[in-house]
Amino acid sequence: MENIRNFCIIAHIDHGKSTLADRLIQHCGVVTEREFRDQLLDSMDIERERGITIKSNTITLPYTAKDGTEYQLNLIDTPGHVDFSHEVRRSLMSCEGALLLVDASQGVEAQTVANMYLALEYGLEMLPVINKIDLPSADVDRVREEIDADLGLDPFEAVLCSAKTGLGIEDLLESLVVNLPAPEGDPEAPLQVLIFDAQYDPYRGVVLLCRVKQGTLKTGEEIRFMHTEKNYTVEEIGRLSLSREPTKGLQAGQVGYIIAGVKSVRDIAIGDTVTHAKRQAPEPLPGYQPAKPVVFSSVYPMSSNDYQDLIKALEKLALNDAALTYEKSSSAALGFGFRCGFLGLLHLEVVQERLEREYGLSLLLSAPTVQYKVFLKTGETIEVDNPLLFPDPTEIEGGEEPFIKGHIWIPERYVGAVMELCRERRGQNTTFNYLALGRVELTSELPLSEVLFDFYDRLKSITQGYGSFDYEMLDYRPAKLVKVDVLVNGESVDALSQLCTEERARERAMHYCEKLAETIPKQQFKIAIQGAIGGKIIARTTITAFRKDVTAKCYGGDITRKRKLLEKQKEGKKRMKVVGSVEIPQSAFVAVLKSDAGK
Amino acid sequence: MPGLYLHIPFCSEICPYCDFAVRKGGPDQGGLFVGALQSEIRGLRSGELLPEAPELAETVSQLVEAPFDTVYLGGGTPSFLSPDELSRLFDTLFRVFHLESGCRFYLEANPEDVEPERLKAWRRLGIDTLSLGIQSLDDERLRFLGRRHDGDEARRAVREARAEDFHTVSVDLIYGVPGQTLSAWREELAQALELGADHLSLYELEFHPRTTFGKKLERGEMQESAEETRADLFVHTHEALEQAGWDIYEVSNFARDPEFRSRHNAKYWRHVPYLGLGPSAHSYMAGWRFWNERSEPAWRRLIEDGTSPAMGWEKVPDSALDLERLMLGLRVAAGVDLERLQSTDAAAFLSQNEALLEGWRQRAWVTVEDDRYLVPSTRGMALADRLAGELEL
Repeated sequence: MENIRNFCIIAHIDHGKSTLADRLIQHCGVVTEREFRDQLLDSMDIERERGITIKSNTITLPYTAKDGTEYQLNLIDTPGHVDFSHEVRRSLMSCEGALLLVDASQGVEAQTVANMYLALEYGLEMLPVINKIDLPSADVDRVREEIDADLGLDPFEAVLCSAKTGLGIEDLLESLVVNLPAPEGDPEAPLQVLIFDAQYDPYRGVVLLCRVKQGTLKTGEEIRFMHTEKNYTVEEIGRLSLSREPTKGLQAGQVGYIIAGVKSVRDIAIGDTVTHAKRQAPEPLPGYQPAKPVVFSSVYPMSSNDYQDLIKALEKLALNDAALTYEKSSSAALGFGFRCGFLGLLHLEVVQERLEREYGLSLLLSAPTVQYKVFLKTGETIEVDNPLLFPDPTEIEGGEEPFIKGHIWIPERYVGAVMELCRERRGQNTTFNYLALGRVELTSELPLSEVLFDFYDRLKSITQGYGSFDYEMLDYRPAKLVKVDVLVNGESVDALSQLCTEERARERAMHYCEKLAETIPKQQFKIAIQGAIGGKIIARTTITAFRKDVTAKCYGGDITRKRKLLEKQKEGKKRMKVVGSVEIPQSAFVAVLKSDAGK
Repeated sequence: MPGLYLHIPFCSEICPYCDFAVRKGGPDQGGLFVGALQSEIRGLRSGELLPEAPELAETVSQLVEAPFDTVYLGGGTPSFLSPDELSRLFDTLFRVFHLESGCRFYLEANPEDVEPERLKAWRRLGIDTLSLGIQSLDDERLRFLGRRHDGDEARRAVREARAEDFHTVSVDLIYGVPGQTLSAWREELAQALELGADHLSLYELEFHPRTTFGKKLERGEMQESAEETRADLFVHTHEALEQAGWDIYEVSNFARDPEFRSRHNAKYWRHVPYLGLGPSAHSYMAGWRFWNERSEPAWRRLIEDGTSPAMGWEKVPDSALDLERLMLGLRVAAGVDLERLQSTDAAAFLSQNEALLEGWRQRAWVTVEDDRYLVPSTRGMALADRLAGELEL
């Protein structure tokens, strides 16, 4: 056991985490030159394309140190984005140590710190690594100073490397086996296995990624999931190299996989503790938190014929994504669809992209909403994340919206502009403190709904790319909640209703009205487009009736062309949704909803 | 009875709004072109230049054999051809086709080509209707439209044409030019009515993508008038002509008296067969529509090589023909004759579209007459394309 090291790499986005992982794998001889490709541990197209990690993965690396000792290094790759912080937490729980990777020119960033605090929470030993030292803009002295001042770690312990060129990788591995602790645990104790993630294999079912904390697990044994209280029999157990390598068993301290006839990731809970069915551990491992969606949106197929395909695609996707929630819903304007819950906007985008790309669907998503608490006059409290289920205003006593604590790291000169951004976004208790070298950490308590859309983009643009941002969920705070409806000739378009706070209502309503006025074609009569709260109109635009639509010349050559245009127009009409006798083209919904996400 | 159309593509200058198959003509191109056109005519008759598709070839050869009662020379600028060239062309027409007695001959001409000698020559050839590309009576607007004549020359051309004994002198005008106000058009139209023409073709300016104006529009260098303005101009045009006692028989066509209506153009709107000759010309017969190569040199080469110049064709299905019937019928004063629909009958059509038609009736866009005619009002004609697209077949 003393020759095992379980570790992860924590870093801010783009600081070179996947490249470092690739280099370590290569250095330990797990892949041949021929087998190598970038981002070895990221298997999804979308991970490779965006350069992000969405699902955790793990790999066992054999390493012979300079003194001849042979080590088994278990690298646990974790997502970096805040949407996937549950995965991060579980991965951290499987490790004893972490490489804290810092970019030699970018220095310490918000996520670096956030991840370090998380790692400290789980008692991980930290080894600072300064990456990208080959870059001309690398400033190792400055980064050392930041590691000392901002992270409180010993800057002279930091290993210098370039994951890109391979420089310093040998030193890093030596330092890793010396400085990171070996796991502890008793192979004879009652079994406690942490399930830190799961992958879906179409042939084998769910492959559980696990870390054995106590005891020993062998093939054929009956296991029990302590939180979900379900029993399974272990079919196969082993270590993960680039592929699965079956072994007879795994014991305390080891990381590997279990296949136990689990059909879907939804049958189990990631983060659960597995024990022996016969000889159960007295209690599960601490720190279990089920992932909870925070962003909600309704997903409709562009063509109602695709609804069955959407059902199948969601079911398949959900086999491998336990955090995605979905239930059937329907809209008068858009037909049948699903109300889905996501861990955050990135998660939403990833799901949408996978549905569209891997399943060939064309989708329409309603404006993302957070989950609000609504206090009813009856004394009841309900959680509302769907505008269609928002109670009548007369029944409402009050409401609350979720807040986050945002950590924003910026060079000092942007403090004013970012303070202003936070103020605009209804930030509370915005404070800042000076870090090393003219940098500032600004913290602000912000409504989640205000950071959902383009907060990060705005931050990036006003700080010319120097700002970094991370957040954690904080609490619920009082808010005046309203449902804004969009009326077309007096009839509500349910798919465009949205929940927001009273102070945002008018601008959001106006935005929708204007977008619709731009995209709904003129019709036989005047069309009034209104934004309303209850019966109160708060925004209005008008589309005048068409009066002129005829080709001036129609002779020999014009007839075929003109008829084809009409045929197209008729085809387009079939795809129109009729609301209050107004025909609304699909493109209008797309324009409104897309512009909203991008706003 | 079928009609003949001959496309003469040459112009001395290309107008920036023109979307037809046109090219700038040089001095000796007329002769070469007429030769090719004669070859096309003879080749169709002999069977040598019939399209390859057997069923289409059969249809075309039937059409070639048919008696014709209209011959229309359009362009481009047919007056680009000398009287001598025209005369050779007419010789061939008479020799090859069966032209009915009482067959009407139409010629499009630009005002600058109109002079007493030519007028007399055209009359001698048997031209009945002279259609003059006046486009505007306002000098500034004529310059904007890239025309080579001015208002005075336009007036002179009409006056001299009227002095000859053509059956019909027709004048083409364009309205809805960017910046043109309703009162400016009102004034110009009043002047046009005083020219003494027998027939007016009043076209709203359209921006076609391939034209100079179309490209300017796309680049934002030019702006189309607002729909409101265009609708006002359209409605005024129809009202003014109605007040003047004219016969409004199509969206853009007006006759001083029904006898001056264009017999030839009516064939396009009523699915009467027509045979098109020359580059880009379209033909129609019994559900078949086919069209010639658009470029004049390419068209000529095909004929010289002894191959059919037809570049494309379609057999229009009954349901699509019905859609055309609605679209074309709503453009003409006579309206749609619902009894002529193939995929449905008048009663079924009327009941299927009952609610829609009732709404249109209330807005005075259309009326249903004798349970078989769908007749557009002026405001209905202004929306003909849109309305045709709304109706269910």
